[in-house]
Amino acid sequence: MRARDGVLRQRRTYVGLVAGVATAIGMTAAAWAADLTLAVPVGSEGDGLRAAAADYEKLKNIKVEIVQAPYANLFEKAANAGAQKTGDFDIVLMDDPWLPFFAENGYLEPLGSYFKAMGTDGPDSDFLAKSLALCRNPYNTGPYVCLPYVGNAQMFFYDPDQFAKHGVTGTPKTWDDVIKVAGEITKEGGGNNFGYVMRAAEGNPVVADFMPIFWSYGGQLFDKDRKPNLLTPEAKQAMDVFLKLKEVSPPGVESFNADEVGTYMAQGQAASSINWPNWVGTFEDPNQSKVVGKIAYSPIPSGTHAGSSEIGHWLMGITSASKHKQAAFDFMVWATSPEQIKQSALRGNPPVRFSVFTDPELTSQKQFRHFPILMNAINFSTPRPRHPKWPEIENAFGAELSKAVAGQETADQALQNAQKAIEAIVSR
Amino acid sequence: MATSSVRDAASTALRLEVWVERNLRYLLLAPTVIILLGLTVFPTVYMYIVAFQKFDPSNPAASQWIGFDNFARLLSDDKFHNALYRTFEFTFFAVSIEFALGLGFALLVDKHIRNLNFIKTVLLIPMMLPPICVAIVWKLMYAPQFGVINDIFKRVGLHPLQWASGYDTAMLSVIIADVWEWTPFVFLMCLAGLASMPTEPFEAADLDGASSWQKFRDLTWPFLRPIVSITLLLRIMDAFRLFDQVYVLTLGGPAAATETLSYYIYKVAFRFFDIGYAAAISIFMLIVTLMFSTWLLKRMQIAD
Amino acid sequence: MAGTTTESQESGLKPQHQRWLAAIALVFAVAYTLFPVLWLLNNSFKTRLDMFSSPPIYINGNPTLFNYIQAFVERPFLQYMLNSAIVAICTTLLSLTAGTLAGYALARYDYGRAKKHISMWILSTRMMPPIVSIIPLYIMFSYFSLLDTKTALVVAYSGFNLPFVVWMMKSYFAEIPRDLEESAQVDGDTNLGALFRVILPLAAPGLAATSIFCLILSWNEFLLALIVTNTDRANTLPIGIAGRITQYKVEWGEISASGFAACVPIVLFAFVVQRHLVRGLSFGAVKG
Repeated sequence: MRARDGVLRQRRTYVGLVAGVATAIGMTAAAWAADLTLAVPVGSEGDGLRAAAADYEKLKNIKVEIVQAPYANLFEKAANAGAQKTGDFDIVLMDDPWLPFFAENGYLEPLGSYFKAMGTDGPDSDFLAKSLALCRNPYNTGPYVCLPYVGNAQMFFYDPDQFAKHGVTGTPKTWDDVIKVAGEITKEGGGNNFGYVMRAAEGNPVVADFMPIFWSYGGQLFDKDRKPNLLTPEAKQAMDVFLKLKEVSPPGVESFNADEVGTYMAQGQAASSINWPNWVGTFEDPNQSKVVGKIAYSPIPSGTHAGSSEIGHWLMGITSASKHKQAAFDFMVWATSPEQIKQSALRGNPPVRFSVFTDPELTSQKQFRHFPILMNAINFSTPRPRHPKWPEIENAFGAELSKAVAGQETADQALQNAQKAIEAIVSR
Repeated sequence: MATSSVRDAASTALRLEVWVERNLRYLLLAPTVIILLGLTVFPTVYMYIVAFQKFDPSNPAASQWIGFDNFARLLSDDKFHNALYRTFEFTFFAVSIEFALGLGFALLVDKHIRNLNFIKTVLLIPMMLPPICVAIVWKLMYAPQFGVINDIFKRVGLHPLQWASGYDTAMLSVIIADVWEWTPFVFLMCLAGLASMPTEPFEAADLDGASSWQKFRDLTWPFLRPIVSITLLLRIMDAFRLFDQVYVLTLGGPAAATETLSYYIYKVAFRFFDIGYAAAISIFMLIVTLMFSTWLLKRMQIAD
Repeated sequence: MAGTTTESQESGLKPQHQRWLAAIALVFAVAYTLFPVLWLLNNSFKTRLDMFSSPPIYINGNPTLFNYIQAFVERPFLQYMLNSAIVAICTTLLSLTAGTLAGYALARYDYGRAKKHISMWILSTRMMPPIVSIIPLYIMFSYFSLLDTKTALVVAYSGFNLPFVVWMMKSYFAEIPRDLEESAQVDGDTNLGALFRVILPLAAPGLAATSIFCLILSWNEFLLALIVTNTDRANTLPIGIAGRITQYKVEWGEISASGFAACVPIVLFAFVVQRHLVRGLSFGAVKG
């Protein structure tokens, strides 16, 4: 008898276990049909598009699902989905240097036929030309595969009072000015105030801070034949300037990312830096900044050539495995309309349209006072080299720059090694 | 009819019972084996397939077979050599320090905190924080200008360091954070070993006038060795694939001073989408770990 | 033997000195352990401006709840916490159930030569670098439509936990005398019955101690959740925390607030089972 009791009790346990597991699976795997799925990054760009999508849901009475992931992880997710052709995402909001990888591997749907069905050739001319050029692959000449949503480009941030004290009134025109003034400020600062703060963490950050200086001295990463081109006097000169700027930066910039750079500025402990426009809002917020109203924005200073900032747009594209392409296209057209781009600007993301950049309702407000300069910066910006292996190239270049900044290599060694490493990547 | 169906049910139950009892040894193992097979067979096969291919992101199914090319690349890839060296450096120092501190401290306080469960639990808190959070709190504390560690250094008259930012101190910083997080685990395991030690041999040794060192060598250590070995194995396996701290603290920099194998594989696989090469590195890593664990288990004679 | 006496005199501290030394070491260890946690807590009540003040603010005269409101009201950290809790609890139940049975089998039954290989194979599944299994796992979960579900996380984390559970419980059962089951069987119990009624209650401290480690791992896991989850339906706490590190800026305040909140449930559970923590491990792991 006892034995049978035992068996029955055990069977009840089995049944309970199986039922429990089955319910758990049923609960979580319940089908979830969305009309549109968007993959966006965390941070203000993603938050902005997420808010726009919520408005669109109400407007059209459809279900829009948002997948929000950290920056690097968004690339992984979208690349994985692209390679496996899962069609998990209909629209991906991409950082512009990712575009060649996505486009050349066929993850993105060309938009030509959709525009034609709408009765136009492509996006209207209110979009900035530089913003649209990014959306075509190859750059500026190929078919459209994206629409621009967030118009980022680097600007030069500085404290005009401190610069004036050291003899540079108005906008610092050249890197020589910056090095001179920053050197003096750092010297006087006694370890608590610095003239410049560099973003030099290994990888993407150090490259992003180097490129504008590189371009200001006439450097080009690739020559006409897409061959690396780092063994030039221009590259050497840019490298020397870069290392001089490191000398006047706070100790520890070897691990600084955009956040540390912004923090030094916001705490009033650094007088200038290159940074992204998102920080304007932070500098003007008294809970986050000691320098409210004190920071000025300007285009990137010149070297031997005109200064040029790195463009860093966020672009919306339709995945080629999407099952809702027309709906996705309709959403993109809606989200990039002048009214919606203005909404997006109000949510803290720089616009991509001339009419919004020059909208007096915005430019009269303090937090948008940098719009004319930002538009200028975009118009004179340079994109990162368009190459499907850009992430790997950037990594190799960033590794050598990091070694130079950390004093493990001289400028010449770093350039030579970078040249070799990039050659190997491009030829593989 | 009713009675016969009851009898049927009863006999089915009995037959089931007999069957369960006869096959119990396999049935008990089955859930674990099924879960682990389900999770490892496909990933392992996949890893071994793509390691011999040049992965084509535009159409993975059409990836080219390239034989041992990915493995040959291991020989000439300086970044891989650096990552391997950094991984060994990290594993060796972090685990050694964790054991020196954890074991030493367990020996020191064992007799005095047998009943202080509260304090033991407090000492375990670092292990319970999400690793990403551990990395973030240390990153804030390490900040050269705004960080609390340099402030304390200045207050007591020490020279401030660059910690995670400095080429020479970055690895040290990662190690310190890991030591903070995982020494409690070692401490707890050693404490557990000590707590289960019989007292009679020690009393006998005291009567013989044995020294503390002799008692440790002849009595404590043989008792502790199995638990220390399994703890060592677990720690080394985890340290060998360090990822989170590097991802948050240093991004592998400066100048690749903290680029561990896991972080390098992550970059190769997810930034460069060179999945074949990433698989080749992973296979190498797996073989090293397997060889080391087998050696350790055999040496410590705890595999049965 | 003369050497022994001098050695003993040299190293043998008096008991009260030993106690003092232990007490000092304890105080030092508690301070060292708690300082970063308290610093995290301290930061969670600061504005961004105060967090980066130099010199740092040790005693915050201007505490703010802003970070907690941002994390738990403005952002769905409560949802993340709930997801983490469901995943952690289900994982712990599943891996403890499966792992205990397997541990018992390996401790009690004879599988001949295969036994060593089974144990070693189970352990070796933990050695696979997780980074590379992520892509095939992604493909697998995608095939079974399990992407972005808690189920996927529960299954995968159980796999991560099982080697530890099996090894801990195996050594634990090895310590329990066989006579106990034999006498139960004499009383008419089946083998399985004996396991459930006699052995498992004895193994409770071991189960409690092991469950803590399962909970910690599945509550905190980051890398796999990053790839497998997509939306607030399945995103766990570490993913939510990592999401506050954005491309241009790191929301340190929200990270501190949610990070501190994240460890509270686990710490509370640890205090609840603290009695078993050391005893549970000590019983089992000795033989390894």
